[in-house]
Amino acid sequence: MQALTQWLDRGFRVLLVGLMASMVAAVCWQVISRYALNDPAAWTEEMARFLLMWIGLLGACYAYREGQHLGVDLFPKSLSPARYRVWALCAHSLVILFSVMVLLIGGGRLVYLTASLNQTSAALGVPMSWIYMSLPLCGVMMIVYALDAMLHPEQPSTEGVMIDG
Amino acid sequence: MAELVLGLIFVVLLCVGVPVAFCIGLATMAALLISIDTLPALTTMAQRMAGGLNSFSLLAVPLFILSGVIMGQGGIARRLIAFAKCLVGMVPGGLALVNVVSCTLFGSISGSAVAASSAVGGFMLPEMEKDGFDKNFGAAVTATAATTGLLIPPSNILIVYAIASGGVSIAALFLAGYLPGLLLASALMLVAYIHAKRHNLPSAGTVSLGYTLRAALDAAPSLFLVVIVIGGIIGGVFTATEAGAIAVVYSLVLAGPIYKEITRTQWFAVFLKATETTAIVMFLVASSVAMSWLLAFNNIPTQVAEALLAVSDNPLIILLIINLVLLLVGSFMDMTPAVLIFTPIFLPAAVEMGITPLHFGIIMVLNLSIGLCTPPVGSVLFVSCAVAKTSIHNIIRPLLPMYAAMLVVLLLVTYIPGISEALPKALGLMAK
Amino acid sequence: DVMVLRVGHSLDPSHTVHKAMLKMGERLQQLSGGTMAIELYPSGQLGSERELIELLQIGSLAMTKVSASPLEGFVPTMKLFNIPYLFRDQEHFFKVLDSDIGRDILASLKPAQLLGLGYYDAGSRSFYTTKKPVVTPADLASVKIRVQESQAAMAMIRALGGNPTPISWGELYTALQQGVVDGAENNPPSFYLSRHYEVAPYYILDEHTSVPDVILISRYVWERLSEQQQAWLQQAVDESVDFQRAQWQLDTEAALAAVQEAGVQVISADKSQFQQQVSGLINELKAGELGPMIQRIEEVQ
Ligand code: NA
Ligand code: NA
Repeated sequence: MQALTQWLDRGFRVLLVGLMASMVAAVCWQVISRYALNDPAAWTEEMARFLLMWIGLLGACYAYREGQHLGVDLFPKSLSPARYRVWALCAHSLVILFSVMVLLIGGGRLVYLTASLNQTSAALGVPMSWIYMSLPLCGVMMIVYALDAMLHPEQPSTEGVMIDG
Repeated sequence: MAELVLGLIFVVLLCVGVPVAFCIGLATMAALLISIDTLPALTTMAQRMAGGLNSFSLLAVPLFILSGVIMGQGGIARRLIAFAKCLVGMVPGGLALVNVVSCTLFGSISGSAVAASSAVGGFMLPEMEKDGFDKNFGAAVTATAATTGLLIPPSNILIVYAIASGGVSIAALFLAGYLPGLLLASALMLVAYIHAKRHNLPSAGTVSLGYTLRAALDAAPSLFLVVIVIGGIIGGVFTATEAGAIAVVYSLVLAGPIYKEITRTQWFAVFLKATETTAIVMFLVASSVAMSWLLAFNNIPTQVAEALLAVSDNPLIILLIINLVLLLVGSFMDMTPAVLIFTPIFLPAAVEMGITPLHFGIIMVLNLSIGLCTPPVGSVLFVSCAVAKTSIHNIIRPLLPMYAAMLVVLLLVTYIPGISEALPKALGLMAK
Repeated sequence: DVMVLRVGHSLDPSHTVHKAMLKMGERLQQLSGGTMAIELYPSGQLGSERELIELLQIGSLAMTKVSASPLEGFVPTMKLFNIPYLFRDQEHFFKVLDSDIGRDILASLKPAQLLGLGYYDAGSRSFYTTKKPVVTPADLASVKIRVQESQAAMAMIRALGGNPTPISWGELYTALQQGVVDGAENNPPSFYLSRHYEVAPYYILDEHTSVPDVILISRYVWERLSEQQQAWLQQAVDESVDFQRAQWQLDTEAALAAVQEAGVQVISADKSQFQQQVSGLINELKAGELGPMIQRIEEVQ
């Protein structure tokens, strides 16, 4: 499990940085194609928006893994270590509940609908189901990280989960 | 019923320390589940979250966050601030004033308070902390000052208002925003100055002319970034979002091959950090958008507004009530949906009381700007906290005097129409 | 028990479409003896046009009004309406919409879990520019024209000789003002209501495309209605369509008068020159999947 999540973390970081770099490149190409080439590219804006969606959803899993999401942390900080473990168990369970319901079931159905109804994007013409795939993928990653955090509550990377600062 | 479930779950989860994005998400999910059938509810929630991120104006955010991180680590910020210190260093707490001015400048360029707080906060806050400023104070200054750019043109939110109002001239609206925006910036600088005086915050002292010239020369390439961004937007070379990409490329070249302050192995960490900060903000935006959808779907904003407008027929009181409602709305809702939902509701009432749609637009945007810096939901507050690496409850105390200044400006702008209307009238864009 | 149909659209409450939909709701209430009602969500509160279509498929929204353009991503037949000068004139346009062809196009939405109930008039789209007036297609050469995010719309601008630049609607005002684009295209009421005339003082009435608004209902919702309820709804929609189309004519005239009052130079175009310019594109499209449909439309007298 530990080896798996470590391998997952590494791959995930590379993916996120790749998405971010591609997004910057897409917006830059938009300027270059309009001015240097005088032939504005039609796909750049849409591509950048889709990449932002992926960065926002998948990056949120990474931020969760790192315990960076913003919250009011007065209460958990005041707990004894034993009680904190109970609190963490409950908090991570809530994240799993949200991920299963909204990201996996809701997002999954959205992918199914857009795939079976053949919806394509306006500029790139790519199937919208590929774009929405970020939702269930985000759900899976959230669940994996939540389970890992519940199994290894002492792990330093999960020590400050859900506490900003 | 849905609104009760939403409010209750949200407040309880927030208090026990669940991250805000999940508080909003879980509360919205529960309220949606009792509003419509299970599968459509969950699918709609997922679609709204993804749809909320599928927005062109949001694209400026990650770009300015990234260029901010690069500038912060690549020596650009250090040079700029050394130069700024020569200019206003003699004033106690001069860096805080520089922060306000930079936020106003960046905010006016980008038209996005979130972008301004990430760009300016990204490189000003570490420097302020190094000089002994409390990072919570710095974050509070950044958050509030960043909102001035929403009033100073170009401003996307004013365009949204103009379209929602169905008949206000955007050119006139832009002119109307200048004075209130500058008034707000001055008020915030005053608060920062008083704070610095009371806490004996450092002034860098006066420096020689030679030192100032060297600092200016050193900072010139970094200052040129501002010229590129402003010049590019004003000259019509690119949009605010594209300016963000240009800022990334320029700061990348400066920090890498020229200053050599970010090595090849550090780039990965720089991009990863920017991506993480972006994602924190985006996940919040996604769940806020889903919540706004639920509120609109259940007609909650309409009901609240109608109930409050039934209270009195005195214009002064109605305006006060509208301001209070908008302040409350701004606390929980994003600016764009709030403007789109509340303009059609409040504007007819305001016009009936003799307030021009132009004046009302400025009141509304200024009011909701305050909401951007208030918990529980405030994107600028979140960004400033994320950039400052501090938590929301820590910056509330330093924010209090800033809120007071913003409220005073709001009252002035609300009850003195001339602040908004003088410029458009003088330039013939509005009937005198 | 009152059956409430929730309807979302992207226009503001002062728009003719919203007023027509209020009429639709009133009529539905009368026809059904108060057992059916319509609740309106204007101003894009519930999402963009593309997202509203998705909400119909998801089943959380009953009805919407969208431009035919965003429907391209769901049903390729809708690309038809972005073909320049496909309709000879307004009479031809309405004749086609109200004939079997128009009904067939609406029926083509069925596999996407949508039902088209009717067409509102969204007028004809014409160019407006910021720097210099456009009189002939030659004036469009290398002029940057903002287009909607649509492959068909891009091809259309390119065929006319312009340089298509996709910019989102909300950003267009500043893009025009700052010179990111040199012009855009839309119908007169939108040109007026968006205040784009403040920064684009030249409007040429070349009327290159007529893209109607389509009234959609979710297939799930439609199939849950009894036959009687379906008939009531269809009648309410038909009556609101009549109201909207009449009102739209007045809006168009009022908008043209208002922009002229504001100093905009409204130029009448020699359309035949523009038509000639796009003949290549039309021949190309005739050979493609839309070919049979284009032919049917051309045959309508
Ligand atoms: Na601005
Ligand atoms: Na707030």
